[in-house]
Amino acid sequence: MQPEQAQAADVELIHAIALGDEAALGALYDRYRLILFGLLTRILNSREEAEDVLQEVMLQVWRRAADFDEQRGRPFTWLVTLTRSRAIDRLRALGARQRLAESASRNAPEEASDAVKDTLHSEQREIVKRALAELPEEQTRILILAYFEGLTQSEIAKKLATPLGTVKTRMRSGMIRLRELLGGELKSVN
Amino acid sequence: MVHEDYIGMLAAQALGALEVAEVRDLETHLQSCSECRSELSSWEDTAASLAFAGLEEKPLEPSPAVRAHILEAVRAERRSQAAKKTDDAQRQQSSNFVPLQPRVRPATYTWGAIAAGLIMLGLLASLFVLWNQNREARQELARLSEQVRDAQQQLIQQREAIEIVSTPGTKMMELAGTKLMPQAHAMLAYDKNGRAILMAKGLPPAPAGKAYQLWFIAGGQPMPGKVFTTDASGSGSLKDQIPPEARNSAVFAITLEPESGMKSPTGEMYLISAS
Repeated sequence: MQPEQAQAADVELIHAIALGDEAALGALYDRYRLILFGLLTRILNSREEAEDVLQEVMLQVWRRAADFDEQRGRPFTWLVTLTRSRAIDRLRALGARQRLAESASRNAPEEASDAVKDTLHSEQREIVKRALAELPEEQTRILILAYFEGLTQSEIAKKLATPLGTVKTRMRSGMIRLRELLGGELKSVN
Repeated sequence: MVHEDYIGMLAAQALGALEVAEVRDLETHLQSCSECRSELSSWEDTAASLAFAGLEEKPLEPSPAVRAHILEAVRAERRSQAAKKTDDAQRQQSSNFVPLQPRVRPATYTWGAIAAGLIMLGLLASLFVLWNQNREARQELARLSEQVRDAQQQLIQQREAIEIVSTPGTKMMELAGTKLMPQAHAMLAYDKNGRAILMAKGLPPAPAGKAYQLWFIAGGQPMPGKVFTTDASGSGSLKDQIPPEARNSAVFAITLEPESGMKSPTGEMYLISAS
């Protein structure tokens, strides 16, 4: 399916969910469970917490589908933003940042998805990873700390013992470069 | 803070990295600035793409129970809502419901209550009118502020255009409409450092999700320029930087592409310069 078609199909699913169509919610879950669960496990570093938050997110989608406005953003961005926001809230509630430093196990190879054979996610993952690899390491690190650990600019400055102004500049430069590098490929990242 | 300060905060906002007070200021500004809203949406797309960086090579699969729990929770919610509606309807329709007889009050109490009610209604109406006037005034102020910003932006662009055009050694290129849009026309001026400004006229409004993109074609190879849109009159302008290899003997063209721009042209060509 072409990215534009996929996006239109997602919009239709969200509209159907707003009308109370459970099957549409199931279809949206099937389409995005891997990327959302991947994001949640990366942030929360706990399979149990990630599954719990994934359920909360999908219930929130069910309740808020009518608020979704395709003129204001893409379905993928809406879902991921909602998921990340819930995950960071949970992370803060758990006070679990210390756990991130530990190399807790995420070792469930038998539970890895067969869907990886559907190369959709792996291609998109490669596009983003390739783009991140082109950024200077200090910029990548700041983007990762903000996105996956939910740290604010001043928290990052403190953690890295770097002046706040430098963190702000690196964060913005990193995002500008990332947007340039993803460029037209962003269309396919949905 | 001025508009440019807020523009500088948008990428960090998309990453959720601003402080609480900054978020509050920015949200107030966003209410009246469509440019920042649109820019923030673009940054949010970029930030969301980072989710793929969190994926394992073999993505983890949530347990099948998660899907079942979600759908069961949704059904339970629907059942509870349906039951509430039924209860409400039954309460209203119940034949056993015996309404209380109204107590007879002295006439003076009744007139007093009516007068108090009317005064209250009058006060509420006045409050509503004042609230409405205030809301309209704020909307008008936001609209005027936006117009002023647009005018300032146009003025800045015009100054830059004059500066580029009046720089010694600046080259001027004319782009003519293709068969697709013969009445379209554009001028491209660029100085020796590649600083360029393009002014186009006669282009139809780009469809939703699309924008016009400038291309520099040197040695038969198209290099991507920036994207732009047109206003209701079909005019649009663009600032760009021409790569060194395209500053001499390049052909310039404009095509219709997805709004985020492409690395190589995919859409139809609307304008092209003479080779």
